Amino acid sequence: MQVTFKDVTLSYDGKRDILKHLNFVIQEGSLVCLLGPSGGGKSTTLNLISGLLAPTGGHIFFDDADVTKKDALGRKVGMVFQNYALYPHLTVLKNIEFPLKMAKMSKADRTKRAKELAALVHVEDQLDKKPGELSGGQQQRVAIARALAKEPSILLLDEPLSNLDARLRIEMREEIRRIQRETGVTTVFVTHDQDEAMHISDQIMVLHDGHIQQFSTPKKLYASPDNLFVAQFIGEPVINSIPATALNHDLAGIVPDSILTQAQTAGIRPEALTLPQRALDPLVTLHGKVLEFDQFGRESTANIDYNGYQLISTEMSQLAHDTKELDFTLEKKGFFLFDADGKRIFGGDTPMVLVGDQSAQKDPAAAPTESGGDTHAE
Amino acid sequence: MLNEKPTVKSSIKAYLYLLPMLVITFTFNIYPIIKSFLMSFYTKYDFYTDVVSAYGFSNFTYLWNDPDFHLAVRNTLVFVVGVVPLNIIISLFIALLLNKIKRFAGAFRTIYFLPFVTSTVAIAQVWNWIYHSDYGLLNYFLGLVGINPINWLNDPNWAMPALIIMSIWKGLGFNIVLFLVGLNNINTRYYQAAEIDGADSWHQFTNVTLPLLSPITFLVTINGVIGSFKVFDEIFALFQGSSGPSKSALTIVYYLYEKFYTEWKYGIAAASGVVLFFLILLVTLIQLWYSRKHVHY
Repeated sequence: MQVTFKDVTLSYDGKRDILKHLNFVIQEGSLVCLLGPSGGGKSTTLNLISGLLAPTGGHIFFDDADVTKKDALGRKVGMVFQNYALYPHLTVLKNIEFPLKMAKMSKADRTKRAKELAALVHVEDQLDKKPGELSGGQQQRVAIARALAKEPSILLLDEPLSNLDARLRIEMREEIRRIQRETGVTTVFVTHDQDEAMHISDQIMVLHDGHIQQFSTPKKLYASPDNLFVAQFIGEPVINSIPATALNHDLAGIVPDSILTQAQTAGIRPEALTLPQRALDPLVTLHGKVLEFDQFGRESTANIDYNGYQLISTEMSQLAHDTKELDFTLEKKGFFLFDADGKRIFGGDTPMVLVGDQSAQKDPAAAPTESGGDTHAE
Repeated sequence: MLNEKPTVKSSIKAYLYLLPMLVITFTFNIYPIIKSFLMSFYTKYDFYTDVVSAYGFSNFTYLWNDPDFHLAVRNTLVFVVGVVPLNIIISLFIALLLNKIKRFAGAFRTIYFLPFVTSTVAIAQVWNWIYHSDYGLLNYFLGLVGINPINWLNDPNWAMPALIIMSIWKGLGFNIVLFLVGLNNINTRYYQAAEIDGADSWHQFTNVTLPLLSPITFLVTINGVIGSFKVFDEIFALFQGSSGPSKSALTIVYYLYEKFYTEWKYGIAAASGVVLFFLILLVTLIQLWYSRKHVHY
């Protein structure tokens, strides 16, 4: 089922809008993550899709049908709640059967269907247990089976992994991906964990402050964030962000003046700072002092002082640990400039127009922009 | 220390702390229970000298043959069956309504709770007036719908219903408050999940509310059954110190009271208390057995 939001607005108290003029299309059969910090409107958006909440303004479409006025029952959605909300008094089998019982399916049919689903989510050996006797991961599987029981038009998951421990979370997110692929059901997944979102989604919608910050593939979200918020929210370690003026001296003559004067903040991914001999596509060489080296298992980070600002790099493990000062390279990939509104004006999928470059002769506006059908927030 | 081993010294110390509570419990709970059990076997007892010259089962055989006691048992069972189920259904219904409304919920809760904190004697006086055959409010309302006046408190056929109605009303407040606590403890997620699963309001009630409320319902039932078996003060106050017209509201405890205070037959009074004890025990055990299957914790 394709889900379309047209100009959807929601306010709980009639004064303050939680969601402001939301427009997006979720493609049929895709797995979409709603990602963002707490209070950004993720769960609200999910509840609007489910029909548990009605929008204050705008329209919601499932394929071509306007479902704005329909409640949860009429929309035929399946939902997995954060705490699973399995009926504590029913066995696993009865829990999975419950939506079918409500749909007045015959007892034999619903038991057969429930057993198939239990097998799909690998809980077929737990059928007679009560939810309280199951582990978190098993409860999660049962909740998914129950949500899938009535063959929902769309499967909604509200922070389904946040109650699990770290290792189980990784296992379950792969399971959700597998179940989604096997059933082909359009899935919307709410999470505040960017790592989780990056691993399982076809597309990610970053929500913050009631607006869609960016809605695109995980790859694109990382490689060319639309704005400073997305750049800072996605990526671990967090992107280095320093005032653009700190780089002015080094970038003058390389990045066009017209861009430099607009730029307010520079974002540098930790992997975009490398040693000169390992540079792939360098933009410029910078000079700084080494403050500290840290090693966390496979990862190593170096803290570098550049013009009084601290930068973190993950690409300097080969550097001798007694190095005090060094020249290092700033790569083109993973370097962005943002204007005063936080909008990206340099780097990412914007064609990189450099001073003295051949392509500088061309009009930048005429350059082909890669959009890939993504919907951006206004 | 969490891993400290108990020693003689530490045990003595612990019992010393427990002593005030143990003394009170033993004096006022354990001793009277033992004493009343013993008393039910007194067949020859001089209460002036507190000398028991013979023990036996004659008190129980007396009860077995006493038509008054049979009436008392029958009336008590009618009372329990009349009060408890209706009380639970009505208080659950009111609790559900109160749980839905946002405004004035506190005020309504207080109003419903008032009967519970008001003295039974005062309540009985008010109901005495409500039940009055000539000037009573109840007969006035019945008259409006064309029903002839009922002599509630003086007609042996209507005395027990009058007692049951008043007792239901009196017990509502406490049960409503318990049910409200239970309803509040049901996570709204279950209702959302049920809604998503296609359950309408009625199915949400039968599939979510009732099963998840069952521990409270169980508590309320046990409490109501035990309380109703022991009914006394409502009768005493409503029928002005009698057991109703032609003993129509004579219950086991009222029988016990009469044997003890009016007829001074201590052995028989104690024996009827013992019978009541085992009756309550039996019913409670049946309820416990039933709850194994039907109460979900």
